[in-house]
Amino acid sequence: MATEQDSSYAQGFGQVSRTAGLVFRYLLLAATMFGIVTLAVLLVYVANDAIQPLTADAGWHLTFFLTLVLPTILVGGALYRRNREALKLGGMVVGALLVSLLFSGGVAIVFVDIIPPLTGFSYAVGLAVAVAGTVLLTKYETQIPFTARVAATGLLFFLSLFGVPGYFHSIPELVQQAPVVPTDWIILTLVLGGLTALVVGQYIARVREDTKAGVAAGASALVLTALGAIVGPFVGIDANALVVVTAVSFVPTAAYAGGSVITREELKPGLVFAATVIVGALVGAVAVDALGFAGPQAWTDWQFLTSSHSGSAENAGLYPAIGGSILLMVTVAALSFPLGVGAAVYLEEYAPDNRFTRFIDVNISNLAGVPSVVYGLLGLGVFVTYLGQATGTVLIGGATLALLILPIVIISSREAIRSVPNDMRQASYGMGATRWQTVRNVVLPEAFPGILTGTILALGRAIGETAPLIMIGAPNVVFNLPTELSSKVSAMPLQVYAWSSLFASEDFYTKAVPAGVVVLLAVLLAMNSIAIVLRNKYESET
Amino acid sequence: MTGTNDPTNDEMLVETDVSDGLSAAESSVTDDAETVIESKDINVWYGDDHALTDISMEIPENSVTAMIGPSGCGKSTFLRCINRMNDLIDVARVEGDLTLRGKNVYDDDVDPVALRRRVGMVFQKPNPFPKSIYDNVVYGLKIQGIDGDYDQIVEDSLKRAALWDEVKDRLHESGLDLSGGQQQRLCIARAIATDPEVLLMDEPASALDPVATSQIEDLVEELAEDYTVVIVTHNMQQAARISDKTAVFLTGGELVEFDDTQKIFENPESQRVEDYITGKFG
Amino acid sequence: MSTDDLEADLTRNTENAPRELLTRSFFFLCAALSVVTTISIVGLLITEASKFFSLTAPLMGVAGETANLVDFLTGTTWQIHSKEFGVMALISATLMVTIGSAIIALPLGVATAIYLSEYASPQARSILKPALEILAGVPTVVYGFFALIYITPALRVVFPNIGTFNMLSASIVVGIMIIPMVASISEDAMSAVPDELRQAGYGMGATKFDVSTGIVVPAALSGIFSSFILALSRAIGETMAVTVAAGAQAKFLNPLNPASYLEGALPMTAAMVQLLTGDITGGGLAYRSLFAIGLVLFVITLIMNIISDFVARRYREVY
Repeated sequence: MATEQDSSYAQGFGQVSRTAGLVFRYLLLAATMFGIVTLAVLLVYVANDAIQPLTADAGWHLTFFLTLVLPTILVGGALYRRNREALKLGGMVVGALLVSLLFSGGVAIVFVDIIPPLTGFSYAVGLAVAVAGTVLLTKYETQIPFTARVAATGLLFFLSLFGVPGYFHSIPELVQQAPVVPTDWIILTLVLGGLTALVVGQYIARVREDTKAGVAAGASALVLTALGAIVGPFVGIDANALVVVTAVSFVPTAAYAGGSVITREELKPGLVFAATVIVGALVGAVAVDALGFAGPQAWTDWQFLTSSHSGSAENAGLYPAIGGSILLMVTVAALSFPLGVGAAVYLEEYAPDNRFTRFIDVNISNLAGVPSVVYGLLGLGVFVTYLGQATGTVLIGGATLALLILPIVIISSREAIRSVPNDMRQASYGMGATRWQTVRNVVLPEAFPGILTGTILALGRAIGETAPLIMIGAPNVVFNLPTELSSKVSAMPLQVYAWSSLFASEDFYTKAVPAGVVVLLAVLLAMNSIAIVLRNKYESET
Repeated sequence: MTGTNDPTNDEMLVETDVSDGLSAAESSVTDDAETVIESKDINVWYGDDHALTDISMEIPENSVTAMIGPSGCGKSTFLRCINRMNDLIDVARVEGDLTLRGKNVYDDDVDPVALRRRVGMVFQKPNPFPKSIYDNVVYGLKIQGIDGDYDQIVEDSLKRAALWDEVKDRLHESGLDLSGGQQQRLCIARAIATDPEVLLMDEPASALDPVATSQIEDLVEELAEDYTVVIVTHNMQQAARISDKTAVFLTGGELVEFDDTQKIFENPESQRVEDYITGKFG
Repeated sequence: MSTDDLEADLTRNTENAPRELLTRSFFFLCAALSVVTTISIVGLLITEASKFFSLTAPLMGVAGETANLVDFLTGTTWQIHSKEFGVMALISATLMVTIGSAIIALPLGVATAIYLSEYASPQARSILKPALEILAGVPTVVYGFFALIYITPALRVVFPNIGTFNMLSASIVVGIMIIPMVASISEDAMSAVPDELRQAGYGMGATKFDVSTGIVVPAALSGIFSSFILALSRAIGETMAVTVAAGAQAKFLNPLNPASYLEGALPMTAAMVQLLTGDITGGGLAYRSLFAIGLVLFVITLIMNIISDFVARRYREVY
């Protein structure tokens, strides 16, 4: 078949000149670049509107050029020629710092403003007690029948978190009623700093292959966090904020930088690059302040990030929407991750090859193509009209978005599970493992990075969705942070939509909306870069 | 024996290998040794493909039984029938009786998971889990809920798999950091840690270099003192060296001959087996 | 070990031990949830939409105002206040966005796919592919804002009488948004073309241009076709970009008349958002019309997805 066709093609082959081929090639390249360049231009426009770099003094630009841009180019250029791997590490450290700073902002909103630290602490203690009990139970795994163990675990969690009203106080209640309660920053240091210390300690212990070094690293992380809280107020920084930033951003970034250098000595110059950028930025900031140069009149500023909607574009802010997006994401992740991974595990590891399985298969790929606005109708019809939930709450918003991204989570999790080598499963079954044992001990640990990457990308999709939230009746304007699952919720893209449609005016178009777009895109960029870094790391390991 | 096993096959590098092997593994199995596994008219289909036809044999206790034959003859398929690994393949269908100490493992009430806990398996390609050496060895103990002094069991198993001296200082490093031969011995240690009755080995040395291969062979002979070992190999001298009994499978999934190894290699009944062994085909 | 022990041991049935049963049921329920979701969507849309039409409303036990099914499907005026529900007005606008975005996305997407699969170096691919993914990752409400604030003013330079809300800018951003979908699925299809076919072409002295256009594209045609349908189905369901940029006034426009692209109209999805942002009471006629539009939208996209799936399966069988 091929030869006959090919010979007919051959008639025309000679006539096409080299130039035509070249033109074609560049046409293709231009077509490829069209969308990318258009978007890039639009992004430049919106960033310009939001940040307004030209409103800054020339001196401001010059100062930062001298302290930040020039040294970065010099050091970066030198490293690029000599040690590209080190430059990559340096870039990663700076990137990690930026992303984790953004992340610490989110953590601060959740653990300081949404959940009062004392409440969070009391539940953390309750959870810790329950988890400790569960761990103790697993020690006697072989003696206690499985059903009894599940029941006991459930009871343990219920009693420690909720107690028995009237008879027996729950642990959160006991903690909250304790005669002496620690102040907020101590609580944050203990919970967040403690968690970070634990993770950092384990990471360092692994790379140094030395338990003592791990303990030392963990302990110094904790001390550093506490120190920040004590010193902070003296230099005019809120103790709680400093604890969160130290525990979520500074310490993990430092541990990452240190750990990478320990494993690969030759990457040390990369830290010089990172230091150049960070010190340059700080020195620049101090210098413009001292010299009295005015910065740009950015609309994406601290005021915008920390205040709520206002009738005037200058005073409008995104704060409740940021908090709403965070709570929505937590709800979506909590719902879609277990359900999506569960479905993927069923389809890959359990499902017999029959009609029903094939039906589920086709069904999932069709669900992935259902327009998001129809999911919004589903949320409106099922949760609001039939189940009688209030409109526009965190819970139904999260549930609707979770249903929306579920097919994506399932499809990417299936791919990750499928990439686990069959050898591993055979080895496990050959040892007499049951399906669940094989799934838990072999399949899920191996597939986890891939599953996580897919889930983060799907969450990125959910965080940008607006239509389903409008459908379930999320309000256009929310003045307070949502504090419970039943609170009315706004979200970043919804707020942007409200500003660009309901409050449509030149003022909002040029100030509040671009500022909101920049924040939304920054969050998305951070999430996607985490996913991409995870994916690259995972791919290079296997 | 001269003449009958003239080494024309590439795999038969040295003629004396075969006879040396036979004298070393001088049949320790007497006729009254108890039968552990007995198969009666086992047939296997993969979809429409008839992979095994009417396989019947008796595998005696504490011995090494080798299965040889050209590739695609069904020897691995038969091995996977013994611990019902074929159950994991959707299109596979098994008919016939296969008994483990008198209990038909294809009875409806038999749990393949429980069966596999008694019948350990080592695969063709070393497949340690991406966990530490220690965790690899205790994997079976953990999933089977076996209590005991894990440190001691790990040490014993690794010693029996002739790996202890090489890894005793790095038990908590990943099993994937070991060499191919070490990985395969780790897989053997993992399989014997739970003390199964039968050990199935599917061409355990085919992916290894000659030194590692001979280490595995020595190990198999030692293991036969305590376990019933069934080993699939495409290497005829290997079968001759280490096995007590040999089953010859030929194309079409037939068991052509099953007898004492010495008999198979020196004086086979079937002309086809003789042709195969002397390298005339296969 | 005695035979009795062996019997008991081998028949202990771990498959249905509580732990296995519990986990297996959980995983099964997770998978079954997708079926429940589909049934809910279909059931909800059908029941609510049938309350909307005079033909079916009595069956649902709904009294009060209803709309005529034929008028709904053929009417070209959408006026909620005067109770005129002619969905054709909305469909014409949706069709315009679909045609407009197709004109942009289909040629560019296929050209991108050819470039990536036949011309680009691995290094260029590793940069271009994530860059293209970004196009699909930008929230659609942001695209709508771009169209309204930056693209429409730019277009006004060329078309002075273009409306503030217009189908052209909406079509452009939707087109850009769906380029990655066309490109990635088409590229998969082109990569699946066996190298022997290319070799055969080169062996006859063909240039890269001849091989790409004469061999690879025809061989990957069904995959490319499937990517078109999927991308257009996405364009039809696209909501926020058209809501922000296309306008709020329902109008029946002729999709084949280029001049009508300078006007604004109300696509189906935008109409749904508008119905919700307006003050509608649960259960009223306007509320039920929402589900009628939703049903039309769902049926159209479902049919397109199924066709695309069918075509894609066919080409996977070929190689």
